Amino acid sequence: MQSEHAATRKEMSQGALALIFSAPAVLIIAATILVPFGIAVFLSLHNWNLKRPGRERFIGLENYTDWLTDSDFWQPLQTTFTFAIGAVLVIVIISLLVALLLNEKFPGRGILRALLLVPWAIPSVVNALLWKWLLNPQYGLFNAIWYDLGIITEYQNVLGSMPSVMIWLVIAYSWIHIPLATLLLLSGLQTIPGDIYESAIVDGAGLFQRFLYITLPMLRSMLSIVIIFEMIFALKVFDIIFVLTAGGPADATNVLGWTIYTETFRKLDFGAGSSIAMLLGAITLGMAILFYVFLDRGVEQ
Amino acid sequence: MHQHSRLRLTIIYFFAAVLLIGTVGPFLWLVSSSFQYERQLLNRPPQWLPNPIVLNSYREIFEGAVLGEESGVPYQSRIFLGSFGNSFAIAGSVAVIAVVVGSLAAYPLARLNFRGRNVLLFGILASRLIPALSLAIPIVLVAKQIGMSDRLITLVFINLSFVLPYVIWLLQSYFKTIPMELEDAGRIDGCSRLQVVIRIILPLARPGLTSAAILAFLVAWGEFLFALLLSETPASYTSTVVVSLFATDVDVSFVSIITAGVVSVIPPIVFALIFQRYIISGLLSGSLKG
Repeated sequence: MQSEHAATRKEMSQGALALIFSAPAVLIIAATILVPFGIAVFLSLHNWNLKRPGRERFIGLENYTDWLTDSDFWQPLQTTFTFAIGAVLVIVIISLLVALLLNEKFPGRGILRALLLVPWAIPSVVNALLWKWLLNPQYGLFNAIWYDLGIITEYQNVLGSMPSVMIWLVIAYSWIHIPLATLLLLSGLQTIPGDIYESAIVDGAGLFQRFLYITLPMLRSMLSIVIIFEMIFALKVFDIIFVLTAGGPADATNVLGWTIYTETFRKLDFGAGSSIAMLLGAITLGMAILFYVFLDRGVEQ
Repeated sequence: MHQHSRLRLTIIYFFAAVLLIGTVGPFLWLVSSSFQYERQLLNRPPQWLPNPIVLNSYREIFEGAVLGEESGVPYQSRIFLGSFGNSFAIAGSVAVIAVVVGSLAAYPLARLNFRGRNVLLFGILASRLIPALSLAIPIVLVAKQIGMSDRLITLVFINLSFVLPYVIWLLQSYFKTIPMELEDAGRIDGCSRLQVVIRIILPLARPGLTSAAILAFLVAWGEFLFALLLSETPASYTSTVVVSLFATDVDVSFVSIITAGVVSVIPPIVFALIFQRYIISGLLSGSLKG
C-alpha cells in the first residue's frame, strides 16, 4: 500500500516535470503551427478576399467544391504529380547507385562522402539561381558544352519549352535532394552483413543477382522511408519554381504550391488559397499513408 | 587476384570521378564565374578558371553596403550584406534556442515515464506533416494584424517551430544512449532533475547537441517562403530573399547575381564541411535509432 502510494506520487511528479520541461517547445509549436492551422481551416470555409473587404462570410465547403470542379485545380495537380514522380524516381535511382558506390571500400571514400554535403547545404533558392545560370540561353555552361560536343547547332532555352523545362526542373531539384537520400540508403546498406554476400558468391550468384536477391530486399524498409519522405517534399515544391520558372512557360510548371501562392498572395483570395492548401495537405498525407501501407506490406511479405 | 583488384579500383575511381564532378562541379562553376569579367563568361570553349581573378562584384557588395546609393551599384548589391547579417542573426538565434528548448523537451521524452508520453512525441512529429504553404496564409494575416510582420523575431519563431520537432527527435534518441547509472548517481548525490540535465546529460550529449544546432542553423539559413512573405522592407530581408530578388531581375549583371549566390552559401557550406561527422551522424540518427 505504502509503495503503491509512493509510485503514484512519483508518477504524478514525473508527469508534472514532463509538462514543465516540454512547455516552451509545445507552446512555440502550438503558436506557430497548431493555431495557424486552425485559422487556415476557418479561412478555407469562408469567402475571404482582401481585395473585397467587408464581404467575409461563412460559405461551408463552397471553396472546396469550386476547386474540385475547376480545371485550375486538376491541371496543377497533374503537373505536381508529374514533377513529384519524376523527382522521386531520379532521386531514388541515383542515390541508390551512389550509395552502392560509396559502400565499396576504397581510398578517398570518406572525402567523397563528406563532399556530398556541399549540394545538401545549398539553400533551395540559391540552387535555383545556380541552375538558372548553368542553363542560361546565352551564357549557360551547358549550352556551351552541348554546342562544342555537336549535340546542338544553336543555343537552346531549355527552360522556355516543354518537356525540357520539366526535365531540368526535376534535375535541378533532385541535385540538392540526392545527398540525404544517399546517406540514408548508405546507412541501410551498411546494416547488411557481409557474410551473406560471401555465401552467395560461393553459391555462384553474380553481381546483378546479388543486388536483386540480397541488396534490394534487405534495403526495402530504408527505401520505403526515402520514397515516402521524398514524395512528401516533392509534392510541396515551391522555392525552386519561384526562382526558376514562376510556373511558366504558359503554366507548364504551375504546380499546386505555385497556385496556392498566386491565388493567395497575388489575387489576395485567402479563402480560395487556404482551401487549395488544405487539399494539397490532404493529398500529401493521403500519399504518405498509401505509400506506407503499400510499402510496409511489401516488407512483411 | 592482384589484376582483379586493380580492375575493380579502376572502375570504382571512374565512377567516383563522375560522382565528384556531379557533386561539386556545378557549384565550383558558380564560384569560378563569380571571379570573371562578364564578357569572359561568353568565351567558348568556357573559361574554366578565372584569369585574371576579378573581384569587382565582391567589392560592389561591400561598397554598396557602406556607401549606399552613392556607390552606384545595383539595388540588390547594396542591400545584400545587410540581409546576410539578418540571416546570421536569425539562424544563430534559432540554433541556440532550438537546442535549449529542444533539450528540455527531449529529456522527459527520453527518460521519464509519464502518461501521454507517446502522444506528446507523436504530436510534435506530426506537426511537420502540415504543409508550410497552408500555414503561411494565416501566419501572414495574423502577423500583419498584430504588427509582427517585417520583424526578424517573427522569423526566428517560425523557423523554431519547423526545426524543433526534428531537434527534439534527434536529442531524445541521443539522450537514450547515455547510461542511466550516471544519472542515478547524480540523483543520489542530491541533484534536482534540472541539475541532472545541466550537469550530467548535456555535457555528455555534446555531439548530439552540436549536430542539432548545426542542422537548425542550416534549415533556418535556407528558409525562403516565410522570409519572402513576412518581409516588407529591405531592413528585414534575409539573404535567400535578396538572392531571389537578384535571380528574378533581368537587368542586373550576371556576375553580381552569381556573386550573391556564392556569398550566401559560404556559411552553410563551411559549417557543413567542418562539422560533417556530426551532421552525418545527426541526419542518420533519426532513422537509425527510430
